Amino acid sequence: MIRGTVVGQVWATRKSRGLAGHRLLLIAAGGDRVVVGVDTLDARVGQEVLVSWGSGARNVLKAGPHNRDLLCDAAVSLVVDGRTGTGGDRGGD
Amino acid sequence: MILGRVVGTVWATRKDRRLSRSKLLLVRPYFYYNPSHEAEQLVAVDCVDAGVGDDVVVCIGAPARWSLGGVNYPVDAAVLGVVDRCQLSREAFGHRRHGDTAAARPLSFIGGEQPRRLEWIGRAAGAER
Repeated sequence: MIRGTVVGQVWATRKSRGLAGHRLLLIAAGGDRVVVGVDTLDARVGQEVLVSWGSGARNVLKAGPHNRDLLCDAAVSLVVDGRTGTGGDRGGD
Repeated sequence: MILGRVVGTVWATRKDRRLSRSKLLLVRPYFYYNPSHEAEQLVAVDCVDAGVGDDVVVCIGAPARWSLGGVNYPVDAAVLGVVDRCQLSREAFGHRRHGDTAAARPLSFIGGEQPRRLEWIGRAAGAER
């Protein structure tokens, strides 16, 4: 998973079947990186989140072995309430 | 996933049989998306009938492969949505200053080009009023 900060949102009416009804967020993921992630937790702009990455991401949308048709490689799996330690303001690996 | 703009299409007569019905799009990302990102453009299979000039969301890697055909499918990027509009926080973008650390440096677009139908929300960092 990577840590990131929500910096925006994307609206797409025409999208892949399994993603209907889910929001798409723009997430700054450290350095100059900005990725798009599916949100099921109602994360807001400015909030810090953990993003599941790669093949594991679709399990956030739909658990189980029959989710392989989902076109999703990044999903917000956790909204951070607090943390200790130092790090980049906007997150990273 | 990444946000990018469709800048062209690619067609080929000689190709893997499994791609015979796929439309291939040339997509230019708006942002860097991984640490070793160097490619200016990538080729993605179109799943939503996107056209040149559209802003799109592209799924990369194994999930694209699984979704389109299975573990042996010869694809690693697929367009999953056409963007109607997008919002970005003004606070995260803004002017770069000399001496900004990598972590605190404002974000920017590759090549300075912005998505269409972009709305800015919030106030720029450092704008005291």
